[in-house]
Amino acid sequence: MRRRLRSFGGLLRNVRVLLPFIVLIAIWWGIKSGFGVSDRLLVAPPAVWSSFVTLVSHGILAEYASTSLQLIGIAALVSFAAGVPIGFAVGANRYAARSLEGFLRFFQGISGIAWLPLAILWFGFTHTTTLAIVIYTLIVPIIFNTMVGVRAIPENYVLALRSLGASRLRIVRDVYLPGALPSIVVGTRLGMGYGWRALIASEMLVRQGGLGDLIFGARTFNQIDRIMVGMIVIGCLYIVVDRLLVQPVETMTLARWGVLRR
Amino acid sequence: MAAMGASGEKITVSGFRHYFRTDGGRVQATGLVDLAIQPGEFVTLVGPSGCGKTTLLKAIAGFITPSEGTILCDGRPVRGPGRDRGVVFQELAILPWRTVRRNIGHGLEIARVPKAERERQVARLIDLMGLAGFEDRYPHELSGGMKQRVAVARTWAAEPEIILMDEPFAAVDAMTRLTLQEELARLCATTRKTVFFITHSVEEAVFLADRVLVMTRRPGTIKAELVVPRHGTGGRDWDSFTADAEMRGIAEQVMHLVHAERVG
Repeated sequence: MRRRLRSFGGLLRNVRVLLPFIVLIAIWWGIKSGFGVSDRLLVAPPAVWSSFVTLVSHGILAEYASTSLQLIGIAALVSFAAGVPIGFAVGANRYAARSLEGFLRFFQGISGIAWLPLAILWFGFTHTTTLAIVIYTLIVPIIFNTMVGVRAIPENYVLALRSLGASRLRIVRDVYLPGALPSIVVGTRLGMGYGWRALIASEMLVRQGGLGDLIFGARTFNQIDRIMVGMIVIGCLYIVVDRLLVQPVETMTLARWGVLRR
Repeated sequence: MAAMGASGEKITVSGFRHYFRTDGGRVQATGLVDLAIQPGEFVTLVGPSGCGKTTLLKAIAGFITPSEGTILCDGRPVRGPGRDRGVVFQELAILPWRTVRRNIGHGLEIARVPKAERERQVARLIDLMGLAGFEDRYPHELSGGMKQRVAVARTWAAEPEIILMDEPFAAVDAMTRLTLQEELARLCATTRKTVFFITHSVEEAVFLADRVLVMTRRPGTIKAELVVPRHGTGGRDWDSFTADAEMRGIAEQVMHLVHAERVG
């Protein structure tokens, strides 16, 4: 009985999360049938659903989605492995931090997409182009937030440890790494959001697979149902990656150490 | 005031003067300071804010290199911070990602003290500082007073011979401050460290000290020193301190000296 009650509570929570989506679908359906919009502009939810079933059963969706996921995965690993050390090196050096802050902000303003023309000229219509764009997009917030995280560590933490006889390596391990971690996680989370958008955009131009390729290709044949399936999957996959991978780490570090920044 | 490198002195500051470089040029942080502290002595330094007290403490700690003059600890020149000189800061110095126990034991961990010995030492300080029951809490779960107890315990646990304290109780509420001062007095009575303690509170300076130094406003020099006699071996407590006419007299004298240095 109790278990049933609890699962009912869980159901209510899920309804609350899903409610806006249900409303959106209702409005979409209402516009489609209420105004008799042509199938060339908008299709009804059941058409999208059947298109989804077709794409899944032929393995087409899995093919395109796995390309996107692989690309974002590789880009995230490279950006993290390179961005965190760079952010540390810059953050630990007062002069480097001061001179690079404006530099990094400048590149924050030039989106990954703005690099596409150059990247295509350099690497052609290949996954390399897409990876370059996504890594660029992902790595800037990681470097920037790591740097900010390192800079925000109170000087007293370091001074106190030095007078306890700590070596430089020890200070990095005991102060800089744990101190900057929440900020690194925030940077990675932001980077994943930006990177995912840049990925789809790049795939639309590069046309070598991926969900961006899927929806852009569908446009050629006016497959509105397929475009909408692709868009929904893009949104869903992002939520899955963010909720299952990034957010738990953030909650864990922040909750355990309390609010670090005053 | 201090004889250069006189034997037996724990801390010797001679001909010290410090300047800061800023965008507007060189700013004098302190005037000429000479100072000698004997082993086991508790010396407090009181002066108006901005007079250069903290600069002097940071130089003794080895965080900054003096523009002029020398600083000796046990007759050896100070070159950077070291385990022999523990520092307690006003705030924000214990690590938020370490529990009380691991913060207190941090110095011992760095010194590679075996775990069993470390635990024993940490347990003793947890007991002395009234932190029992909070061993596994994180700093954000503690009050300001508790956090400062942890900071004091961490410094004592590492067993430095010299302890430098920079207004350690300034950010704590007045009631808690009285308790912390009494606890510090008791701790010092049982462990006999050489302590150099900075404050802008006259009562605190006199209550804790064997000797009170008064600094002028910026660029600060030491303008007076007063010996505060000790009766008995235990630490002082506020009840008997406030009832003692001699202590009140000294506090009044210090108050007059400090008053003359008021800025603005």
